[in-house]
Amino acid sequence: MRRGLPAPAGERIPNLAPMVDVIMVILVFFLLGASLELATEGVLQTELDPRSGPGEGTPIEIIPAVKIALEEVAGGQACNIYVVGKLLPGNTFEHLYGFLEQRRLAGADTANPVIVAAQPGVRWRFVIKTMDVAVRAGFTNVQFAVSLGGGTRLNW
Amino acid sequence: MLFRPPKPVGMTLNLAPMVDVMMCLIIFFLLASKLVDAQHRPLNLPYAQAALEVGRGELGRRVVINVRPSDDDPLRAEYIVEAWDGQNITERILQPDEIQDYLQARADRVPAADDGLRCVIRADQNVAYGHVEVVLRGCGLAKIAKVVFSARAGQEPEEET
Repeated sequence: MRRGLPAPAGERIPNLAPMVDVIMVILVFFLLGASLELATEGVLQTELDPRSGPGEGTPIEIIPAVKIALEEVAGGQACNIYVVGKLLPGNTFEHLYGFLEQRRLAGADTANPVIVAAQPGVRWRFVIKTMDVAVRAGFTNVQFAVSLGGGTRLNW
Repeated sequence: MLFRPPKPVGMTLNLAPMVDVMMCLIIFFLLASKLVDAQHRPLNLPYAQAALEVGRGELGRRVVINVRPSDDDPLRAEYIVEAWDGQNITERILQPDEIQDYLQARADRVPAADDGLRCVIRADQNVAYGHVEVVLRGCGLAKIAKVVFSARAGQEPEEET
C-alpha cells in the first residue's frame, strides 16, 4: 500500500473565488440601489434679486411689480391672500391664478417681478402654491420678500 | 544526461487585482449611497403643478438644505445638511444662526469662474415660512442668487377630487 507523500512546500494561493462571488453580489446590489436613487425630483427655480445682500445700496424700484402677501390665519393652517395691498376677492389660489392671468393677458410683462411675502407662521405649502400659481400664469421672475429679522412686514 | 519532462502545473487565475477594483467600487457606492440619503431624505414636500422634473446632475454645483419640523416641537424646525467627518458622510443639524456662515463657507469654495452655487431648499410642506425665510436670508447675505425649491410635481390629492 502506497502512502501519499506530503505536498511539497511551495507558494500557496488562497482560493479567492468565494470572496469574489460575495463581492459581485454586493456590487450588483449597490448598482441596482444607486440606479433606483437616480429618480428625479420636482423643483421650482428662482433667482434672488442681485441687489440683495451686503454691500448694496437701498434698491430704487422702477419696475412695476406684482406684490402678493400671505397673512397667517388659524395658526398657519390657512392664509389670506393680499394682492398689491388689498385682500384678493375670493381669497383662493384659483382666484389668484385668475388675477395673474388676467394681468398677463392685459399686457403685463411676464419678466417683471412677482414678489411674494408671507408672515412667518404661514405654512410653506401656501408659499410654494403662490409661486406655483405665478409660474403657471406665465410669470417667470418670482421673488421673495425676506425680512432682516423680526418677521416679514405686510404693510403693502 | 537524463531529461525529464516538467510536471504539469495547474494554472490559477490571479484574482487579486479584480478584487481590488471591486472593493474600490463597493466603497464608492457605499459612500455615494450615504450622500444620496443625506440629500434626499424623505420629506413631506409641497405639491406644485409647475414643478420641473430634474435630475440632481442638472442642478450643477449645489448645496442642499433640508428643513423639517422638529420631532420634539413641531413649531421649531431642523436644518439638515450633509457633512463629511473625515471618514463618513453624515448628517449635520444646523442651528438657525449657523445657516448664513454655512452658506457663506460653501459659496466661498466655488471658483469665481464657475457658474455659481445653487441652493436647493427641501422644506417640509408643513413647516412655517419663517423657518425657510432663514435660509433665504442666508442665501441673500451669502450672495447665492440661484435658489431651487423642491416640490412634488402635480396637484395636491385633495384638489384632484
